[in-house]
Amino acid sequence: MIRIAFAGKGGSGKSSVSGTFARLLARRDRPVLAVDSDPLPGMAYSLGIPVDDHPTPDDVVVEGPEGGPKWVLRPGLDAAGFIDQYAAAGPDDVRYLQFGNSWGHWSTLQRGQHAWSQVVREMDPNAWNVVGDLPGGTRQAMFGWAKYADVLALVVEPTAKSIQVARRLRNITKAEWSPEHVVVVANRIDHPDDVQRIHDALERPIIGAIPDDAAVTAADKRAAAPLDDGSGPFVDAVEQLVDTVESSYDAVS
Amino acid sequence: MRVAVVGKGGSGKTSVSGVLARSLARHGHHVIGLDCDTNPNLGLSLGVGDLETERLLSLRDQIDEGEQKHAHTWADILDAYGTDAPDGVRLTVVNRIDNPEPD
Repeated sequence: MIRIAFAGKGGSGKSSVSGTFARLLARRDRPVLAVDSDPLPGMAYSLGIPVDDHPTPDDVVVEGPEGGPKWVLRPGLDAAGFIDQYAAAGPDDVRYLQFGNSWGHWSTLQRGQHAWSQVVREMDPNAWNVVGDLPGGTRQAMFGWAKYADVLALVVEPTAKSIQVARRLRNITKAEWSPEHVVVVANRIDHPDDVQRIHDALERPIIGAIPDDAAVTAADKRAAAPLDDGSGPFVDAVEQLVDTVESSYDAVS
Repeated sequence: MRVAVVGKGGSGKTSVSGVLARSLARHGHHVIGLDCDTNPNLGLSLGVGDLETERLLSLRDQIDEGEQKHAHTWADILDAYGTDAPDGVRLTVVNRIDNPEPD
């Protein structure tokens, strides 16, 4: 099973890469659960799911026991049942679990977020390949939100700001909890020196180099998934990334 | 005037803020750049460089280690925790990253 989470600076391409990665992985006959923990979720677009807001009903949770989490899945509903009933169905049979968005009322949001956390924590790790999209920046990435992942992929553009954020993320993995593998995906590469520069700055394995592809921007403008726009340099590079992850980071379950 | 710049990650908040701050300063305004991002990069856009941008993040640790005094007023904060950027902009960072450079 492959369990990977994508992190990096806002706008570095986490959602585009992770959504495309999830669908290409699913085309290889793997059950794939795409998990989006960004409170401003963007992964649905790149998956090609025609919703950007997929809230769970309030009654999936009940008040938790004293001293425990505030909300827990209602009796009789476990992680598998939750995914079965409430994860959105996407193209290529990807299932999509959204953490919640930022425009609901806090009391409602909190229920959905507790449900999301419990499902990700308690789901059978051998039932799903998991592809996660973390929020931009460092706040959530390293503090327990990606514990489902064996591989943390830092998505990095060849810009000073993007590299700076990736360095901070990498450094936090030295001090805090970290997945087993911390790797780099270089994105929007438009010069031969870019990948080397990113490698020199981060000193982690670069498992993918994705060229700058105007088709991705064009797809973004139309709220379309890059994969539904046909193939191109971006899709080809993510396909290669799937090859690499399958050959090197497929955890034997 | 007090201007806050917001938007999606990667939309260009930091680049716009940095140019706006320096342009205002060039017009003779007294400008303070406040970086409130949990990933503070405004220093890069203002042109103070990556080392100085990271140094601003480590000031809190210097307080903890007794090397840096606490600041009690706005002026003290800007003095102790700020840095001079080009065109006379004074930059300070409101947030900081835990363990930006462990080891």
